[in-house]
This record gives sequence, C-alpha cells and structure tokens, in this order.
Amino acid sequence: MTLSYLLRRIGYGLLLMLGVVILNFFLIRLAPGDPAVVIAGEMGGATEEMLESIREEYGLNKPIFTQLWIYVSGIATGNLGESFFFNQPVSKLIGLRIWPTILLVITAQILSISIGVFMGVIAARKPNGILSGIVSIFATIGYAVPVFWTGIMLIILFASVIPIFPVEGMQSVKLRDAGFVVKTLDIAHHLVLPAFTLAIIYLAQYARLSRASMLEVLGSDYIRTARAKGASEVSVLFKHALRNAALPILTVAGLQFGNLISGALLVETVFNWPGMGRLAFDSILRRDYPTILGVLFFASAMVVVANIITDISYRWADPRLRRKS
Amino acid sequence: MNDTPEFKPESPGLEAWRMFRRNIPAVFGLVLLIVIFLATLYGALIYNGDPFDIVWAPHEMPGATPEFPLGTDYLGRDIIAGLLTGGGPTLAVGAAAAALTMFIGISLGALAGYYGGWVDNLLMRFTEFFQVLPALLFAMVLVTLFSPSLWTIAFAIGVVSWPQTARLTRAEFLKIKELEYVTAARAIGARNKRIIWKVILPNAAPPLIVSATLTIGVAILFEAGLSFLGLGDPNVMSWGLMIGANREFILEAWWPVTFPGLAIFLTVFAVSLVGDGLNDAFNPKLRQR
Amino acid sequence: MSPLLEINDLAVTFATRHGEVTALDSVSLHVNEGETLGIVGESGCGKSITALSVMGLIPQPHGRIRAGSIKLAGEEFVGATPARLRQMRGAEAAMIFQEPMTSLNPVFTVGDQIAEAITLHQNTSRDRAFKDAIALLDRVGIPEPDKRARDYPHQLSGGMRQRMMIAMAVSCRPKLLIADEPTTALDVTVQAQIFDLLNEIQRDFGAAILLITHDMGAIAEMADRVSVMYAGRVIETATADQVLDTPQHPYARGLIDCIPALGKSETGLKEIPGVVPPLHMLGAGCAFAQRCDHAQARCLREKPKLINHGHHPAACHGVEEARL
Ligand SMILES: Nc1ncnc2c1ncn2[C@@H]1O[C@H](COP(=O)(O)OP(=O)(O)OP(=O)(O)O)[C@@H](O)[C@H]1O
Ligand code: SF4
Ligand SMILES: [Mg+2]
Repeated sequence: MTLSYLLRRIGYGLLLMLGVVILNFFLIRLAPGDPAVVIAGEMGGATEEMLESIREEYGLNKPIFTQLWIYVSGIATGNLGESFFFNQPVSKLIGLRIWPTILLVITAQILSISIGVFMGVIAARKPNGILSGIVSIFATIGYAVPVFWTGIMLIILFASVIPIFPVEGMQSVKLRDAGFVVKTLDIAHHLVLPAFTLAIIYLAQYARLSRASMLEVLGSDYIRTARAKGASEVSVLFKHALRNAALPILTVAGLQFGNLISGALLVETVFNWPGMGRLAFDSILRRDYPTILGVLFFASAMVVVANIITDISYRWADPRLRRKS
Repeated sequence: MNDTPEFKPESPGLEAWRMFRRNIPAVFGLVLLIVIFLATLYGALIYNGDPFDIVWAPHEMPGATPEFPLGTDYLGRDIIAGLLTGGGPTLAVGAAAAALTMFIGISLGALAGYYGGWVDNLLMRFTEFFQVLPALLFAMVLVTLFSPSLWTIAFAIGVVSWPQTARLTRAEFLKIKELEYVTAARAIGARNKRIIWKVILPNAAPPLIVSATLTIGVAILFEAGLSFLGLGDPNVMSWGLMIGANREFILEAWWPVTFPGLAIFLTVFAVSLVGDGLNDAFNPKLRQR
Repeated sequence: MSPLLEINDLAVTFATRHGEVTALDSVSLHVNEGETLGIVGESGCGKSITALSVMGLIPQPHGRIRAGSIKLAGEEFVGATPARLRQMRGAEAAMIFQEPMTSLNPVFTVGDQIAEAITLHQNTSRDRAFKDAIALLDRVGIPEPDKRARDYPHQLSGGMRQRMMIAMAVSCRPKLLIADEPTTALDVTVQAQIFDLLNEIQRDFGAAILLITHDMGAIAEMADRVSVMYAGRVIETATADQVLDTPQHPYARGLIDCIPALGKSETGLKEIPGVVPPLHMLGAGCAFAQRCDHAQARCLREKPKLINHGHHPAACHGVEEARL
C-alpha cells in the first residue's frame, strides 16, 4: 500500500464530496419558488426579516457563481446552514444524530457479512445440499421483503408475543444516568432488533454470493495443494479458500454500503432510532431543506469513506493489486 | 460440453423460453405475477368504491365480518379494497421507474463502453458520483422538492437507480465490441449509431433483460418505501401508504400492516423468481444440462 | 523387503452424466524405497487419478474408490479415516502438481505456504518454521531466499514456483514424492533444471519418486522402472531400459517410436493415430483395439490381462499370440 495511492484515493473522495455540495446547491435552486423561502422551510412562519437575512447570508441577490462560491466555502468551513425548524445549526443537529446511524449501519454490516459469509461457506461444501437450497431461497426472499415491513413484523412479534427486546428508541429513559457499562449494554439491547432487521436482507445476499464465490475457489488447484499438505477441512475452507473468495464479497460490501444507509433510513423511522434517517424523515415532513441536504451530504460522505476503506482492504486482501514501492 | 453434439438453435428467444418453461420456481413466479397483475387490474372494478371511504368500524378483525374478509384499518377502511386499488399505482410506478432506469443506464453505459477513452472516463466518473448518493435519501429529496405525484416518484426512482444498469451495459459493450461481427459491420461501413443500437445492443440484450426485471422489483420496493414514509401521492392509495398510515396502531391491530406488506413481498418475490429464471435461461453454461 | 508403495487392483469410478464411468480399472503398481517409478500414457489415461488416489484426494463428490488396496509403508490407506489421511498427506507422501501457476495460493507468501506445511506436521513455532522454509528455498536453488520467502507467488517465475512447490513438498521429508507432470508447464531449459533438482533431492533426502509424465525422454533420464497406462489400465510394466528397448505392447511401441531421436529435427514428430475412446464408451475388449494394427477378433471380446509373456508383463493378446 503506497501512501500516494491513499492520498490519491482521498483526493478523489473529496472531489466526489464537492460534487455532492454543488448538487445540493442546485437542488435548492431547482425547487419551484423563492430559494429563500425554500431554505426557510415551508413552516409558514418565516418573517420577511428572516428571509432577508437568509438572502444576505446565502448572497441570493448576487450572481449564481458567487452564490455557489459562498455556499461551497461555507460548507468547507463546516457551516451547513441553519435549520429554521429545529432552530439550530445543521452541523450540530447532524453531529448528534450521526453516531447512532453509524452504530446501526456498521453493526448491521458486520452481522450480515459474518453470518452471511459463514452460511455461504458451509453451504458451498455441499452445492446441492439442504443448506444450499435454504440459502438460495432465503436470498430471494430477503431480496423481496420491504425492510420497513420486516421491522414492523418484528416489533409486533417482540412487543407482544416474546417481549425480550425493546422495540423503540436507543436508550431506556430510566437508565439515562446509569454507569457506562449499564448504558452500553442498554444500547446494545436496543440495537438488536433494528440491526437484525437491516442485516437480514443483506445477510441472505452475502450468503448467496459467498456460496457462489466459494464454489469457484474450492475447485481451484491451490485448494488441492492445501489438502495435499494435510491441511484440515476448517483451514482449507476458512483460511485458504475464504481469503480468496472474500474478494468479490468485499466489492459487493462496498457497493452495498449506500443501500445500507438507505435501509437504515427506513429502519430508524420504524424503530424510532434517533439517527440521521429519523432526522431526514422529520425534516422532510417539515420541508426543512438545510437539514435534509445536510443529511444527504453526510450520508454521501459515509459512502465515500466506506468506498475508500473497501479499496484499501481490497488491496490488503489481494496481494496481486499491491504494487512494490 | 466437449462431447455434446452440436445442434442449431432455432432462435435464442425461443430456446430461452423452453429453458424457462422447465424452471418450476420461475414459472411459479410468472403465474403469481400474472395473478397479481390481473387482481389489481380487475379487482378494483369488482370492489368498486373509493378505498379511502370509511365503510365500517375501525380495526375489525379479519374474518369477523364476511363483507370485509381481511378486516378494516384504524379508520374503518376496507383492507381488501386498499390492496386491490393500491397495487395498480405501485406496479405502474415500478414499471415506469424501471423503464427510465433502463433508458438512462443503457444510454450512458452504451456510450461509455462503445466510445471508450475520455467519453468513458467522464461518464464513469459521473456514474461513480451518483453511486455515492444513498439512493432512497436522494429520491426522498427529489420527491419533496418537486411535490409528490406518481410521475415525480417514478422520475426520482429512475434518476437514483440507473448507475448499476450503466455499469452492466458498459461491461457488455466492452466485451461485444471486440467480437468479429462488430468488426465486420464496421468493415461494411455501418455508422456508429447503427452499430450501437442495431448490432451490439441486441446481443447485449439477455443480461439487460434480466437486469430490467430485477430493476422492476427494486423500483417497487422503492415506491413502497417512499409511500410508507408518507412521500407518495397522498391522493392515491398504495400498499406502502397503507402500512405507513397504520403504523401507529400495529400493537392494537396487526392486519392492516401485514396484508399490504405481504402483497409487496409477493410481487417483488414473483418478479425476482422470473428474473432468476430468465438469468438461468439465458445462461449458456446451464443450458446444456 | 516389501515395497514402499504398493497399489493392488485399484478401481476408481466417477459419477458423470453418462452414468458411472471407470477411470481406473484394476491398476496395480509398486514403488520401492528410494527408486523412481515413471508412469507414462496419453492425456486422460488416469495418471493423475492414480496419484490422487494415493494422496486420498480423488475429486469429490463424484469420484470413488470402488475396489483395491493402496499400501504405504505397509499401511492400508483405502478406507483410512480422514484424520489419518490428513496426517499422512505432506508428511509421509507429498505431491507436486503440474501447474505451478495455479497450484499456489495467490494470497499467501511463499514462505508462509512452506511454513504452513511444516507446522501442520511438526511441533515447531511459526518463526522456526519460517526459518526452515527459507533454508529449504535455498536448498532448491532459489537466490536470495530470505527475500523471496516474503514474496507472493505472482512475483515469481514459473520455474521458481515449481522449485518452491518442490521445497514445500520435501519440507517434512516424506518417504514418497509424487510429481505429476512437474515440467509440462515450463520452458524446455527450465525443465532440465527441475529434473536435475528432483534427482538431487532424491539423493539427499532418500525419497522415492513417482514421476508422472507423457515425455518418454524424461523417463529415460529419470526413471528406474516404468508403468505404461492406457485408458485407466496399466498395460505394461518393467524397468525403464526394458520398456525403452523392447516394448511389448503395441501402444508402448507407438509411444517409443514417437520419441524424437537425438539430433533429428522435431518436424517429423510422429503421433499414434487415433484417439483414446471416452471412458463411457469403453467396451468389453482391449481399449486400444481401434488404434491397433494387430487387433484380432479376440481383442474385441476379451480384456487382456497384465501378464508376463516371457519378457516382462504386458496386457496384450497379440504378444501372447506372437510367442505361441
Ligand atoms: N472429476 C471428474 N469427473 C469425471 N471424470 C473425471 C474427473 N476427473 C478425472 N476424470 C476422468 O478420469 C480420467 C483420468 O483422468 P486423469 O486426470 O487421471 O488423466 P491424466 O492421465 O492425468 O491426463 P493428463 O495427462 O491430461 O493429466 C479422464 O478420462 C477423466 O475424464
Ligand atoms: S490386445 Fe489386441 S488390440 Fe489390444 S493392443 Fe494387443 S493386439 Fe492390439
Ligand atoms: Mg494429469
């Protein structure tokens, strides 16, 4: 891994983010109506002074490129605008909400990859076996279930039938002031249902993908070599084969990240999880554009970061891609 | 493969259909899809009346009143009426959005793959940019900006979902443009436009047809998600809207959310069974079994 | 003294879409300690399957040992437990494969792959094993072994990779080394080097070698004894000199006629006309009958047995007739 590659990759990521900022800028101006009104949000309560101060701040009376410059440089200094509904800077709002989303998305990603890949590996041992059949049926089902509906069904199940997991929020009110350990456990307890809801769809897809990938790898010569050395079946599957089969899985994991965030949006709404998705939902209902666009910006940034991580781990996993410095 | 006797296929489409016909899950999916389609088409006529009408007491259990076999929702609206009238918009938006997705994706992918060079570079950067935006969130923003209607929803879904199609089309074009018959077409002086649309595209059709099918499934899920969030057309009943509207009361009544969800699931499930079946039917590796 | 490896009446079948086919049909051969047995025959005649049977690595799930016995140092391995087979593989018998390009795992370093072979069978630390791996790389003639040990397979040339495969195979000092066409994928100049290396290794480590090849030249150079295979059967077996000088079976004669004589250009390279019949089309008689100039009615009815007709064992009715 060369440093210059990393820098190039990060530079490209920043360029993509600049693209998102410019897109945001034009989205506001594409919306029908006075941009100042759009930015203030259609709460009806925007006074003429308020609109005037918005026009001032965003330079709405100036030429469009000056406006763009003001907008871009504002964001470069961390100013995402003001939410007129929440009466707070957007960056502050999102700063509070981004961590629950990251927690949810990463937990779901880890769950779906680890369980899915494990199932796929086991299924690949018997390509025509029962588990293989279950994996492919399950994958088709997982693809077809609306994620918000899965969440609702789980809530019904766990709220009334087997009430062992909380179905709403991220923390119990009565444990707000508890010690660190108790609080962490409480959050983990709340995390179970949302994370699984989100993971289920992708879990099945990873299982199908890793099964196919493993089947291909298991037929290769170096697997025979590993067996000829006397390697155990576990080592053949999980060390020799999986390291190679992981490459397409990694690619998909990177590509799926955006979808995972989209899914998180719905799951957060269903479970009242206090993340960015919930924030996006609330602000869309109020047409609070600065907040919506701020969420779009941060969610895109998460995807960019995830892509960079994917690229790096891809190079780590496949030595053929590493270049000698 | 080596010792299978060569045979002349009658036509690739017909051959694929014969493969497809033998694939039980795929045929099941196709039948299911047709049933759902007919149900949404004619069902609305049978259950005439406005699905928004309050016809009975709220939260009537399924089976309790023979007139309303699937019960009523929190306002006392007939759930079957909602299911039958709500499917039409969902399917229509899904199909329209998939058509737009395929149109944008194929156009850009074909140009990038065929011309290569800076055109390819530019278009692929553009595609990567769109892949950075989380699709549902971007669609939500578009729908809110342009006020929800069936058209804006289909438009928004199309605008956010084309990148994968573009990549697939590009990959197919890169592969096919090197083949002999393309060189031959060029040698007899065919124009680029003709080669792209008349020579390469038909040969890239099988994977694109599969992808189009799966895109319909994804678009239906998108539409459901948007209406669930209350971003659908508020004047049109849809499955997602039924779930969203009854969400507050799931602990009192499970049926108003369960049945529309099942309807979405079955539709997308059927679509993806058909897609998988087409994939197998077009895949020459499996064909000889 | 009983032989190191003794295979008796081995039968291996594969389930295919043509039904069950017999890939090996009562194959018998043996390898004495420290000697080199060559197995020759055209592509598809069952050489690799014979070798893989010894390693207990017949392609799964379709392949199956139907009958026969494989004894290594007196111990029966047909029907051995998976655990025992794993213990044996790499330690008592090791194998070198034909394709050095694809037979090494692309994501692990060369040194790690050798060290793994060592730690699997010996109770040493990973560091110690890695040092041993470097010593082995040195032993097989790889320059700068401590650097190369940290390389990945794709960074090495084909010849280097095959040397590395040899280093890995001998890392636990197995009694039997199986080399399945170890040079087929390599340049001619490199081929000779690899054969030299195998000879040296054999001398130093005292291993017996089961050398699979379809190159009669390599047999002349390397082998003490030879078994010729055709369509899943051993059709002739004797010392290398005997087979090369006085081949009995028409197929063996054909193979030897195909060797380009020293000094002659390769343009006139001969081939035995015809092709090996596919396994599912083998009939009751001699599998070579369609290609044989001496075929008689009996050849189509009855499978010839591998018996000594006076000179050395060969499976051909024609030899017998000629002697009568
Ligand atoms: N997995 C399998 N399924 C079905 N048949 C197989 C399988 N593996 C090998 N065979 C059959 O077994 C026979 C012997 O194969 P083998 O690989 O031993 O040939 P070989 O003598 O090593 O040839 P080559 O010189 O090409 O390596 C072949 O005819 C092949 O068709
Ligand atoms: S048995 Fe008959 S057909 Fe077979 S090799 Fe001998 S002479 Fe030829
Ligand atoms: Mg072979």
